[in-house]
Amino acid sequence: MAKGRELVGRIKTTENMRKITRTMEMVATSKMKRASDRVAAARPYATALGDVISSLFNADLAERFPLLRQPATEQRAAVLLITANRGLCGGFNANLIKEARHTLAALADKDVQVDLHVVGRKGIGFFRYTGHDLTSARTDISDRPTAEDAASLVDGLMAQFTSGAIDSLYVIHSKFNSVLSTPPHTDRVLPVAAPTRAGAGRDYLLYPSADAILTELLPSYVRNAVYRALVETAAAEQAARRTAMKSATDNAGEMLNLLRRTYNRARQANITQEIAEIVGGAAALQG
Amino acid sequence: MLKVSVVSPEATLYEGEATSVVAPAFDGEVGILPSHAPMITVLGRGTLRVDGAAPARFAVSGGFVQVVDDVVRVVTEHATKA
Repeated sequence: MAKGRELVGRIKTTENMRKITRTMEMVATSKMKRASDRVAAARPYATALGDVISSLFNADLAERFPLLRQPATEQRAAVLLITANRGLCGGFNANLIKEARHTLAALADKDVQVDLHVVGRKGIGFFRYTGHDLTSARTDISDRPTAEDAASLVDGLMAQFTSGAIDSLYVIHSKFNSVLSTPPHTDRVLPVAAPTRAGAGRDYLLYPSADAILTELLPSYVRNAVYRALVETAAAEQAARRTAMKSATDNAGEMLNLLRRTYNRARQANITQEIAEIVGGAAALQG
Repeated sequence: MLKVSVVSPEATLYEGEATSVVAPAFDGEVGILPSHAPMITVLGRGTLRVDGAAPARFAVSGGFVQVVDDVVRVVTEHATKA
């Protein structure tokens, strides 16, 4: 029963594999829960900041703030791609990389020089492999990104934008719409598109002045945009991993059913054959 | 009563009602009582005090306070509960 022995081995392997994928699914589920809580916790800050900036913003101010400057021509752009450090999360990293390549191609079509900054081992690995020059590569951002991580990523880029070294900044990340919808997305973070909201026209007492407040808040607004991109991507990664591991677990289950059925059929056939042989043998002796 | 919330990028640190708020503005402390005029002011570094049923202290640095219709929002990048 050589085939049976082989099948027993495969059944065991598949069982072990299913155990691992199921564990990973459960780990990702609990990590995703915490990560999506962080996405939700980041919302009030973003809302408050957006509210205040939109109520202070007017077209005259735009001319005076370097971060609001709309460059006449786009000559050099920075692209910040956020990917995961780890794989085994389905098409998550591949989708982000695909989005990045679209964005890079679109910028190249417009003859824009691009500085590519990549976060996460997977994105770095891909662009190194294709021989692309990376201006910076970061792998030290964990799956619980902090506001400091965002600041360390974007502060240098803001300075470059202010000095005119770059004309725009694009951030490519995953949006965390829901567990099942985490599409890759390109955001233009610089120059800052001031949020405009209706009904913002309250007369505030402003201390020290609208200019001073905006000077303080615009960098926070940019940092927050990057922070949100980081937390949403972290949550989306766990969601993608959960989905991938769930389908791997389901597939392992299906394969196990098939293997067990095949094994049992082979075993039965074997027994039937042995009985037939014994009966045949006995009949031959009697005859 | 004032409706007070203290938010940082990572979390909402405080949410509740208070009778007064003392915030470390860029040029000294600013006290906020109910019926305050709408105001936005930049914060410096110091202690934020929220007094009322659930008093709390926070060390803050930077950010701003927005007061409108007895709703006080303290929005700061660096805040820790003291």
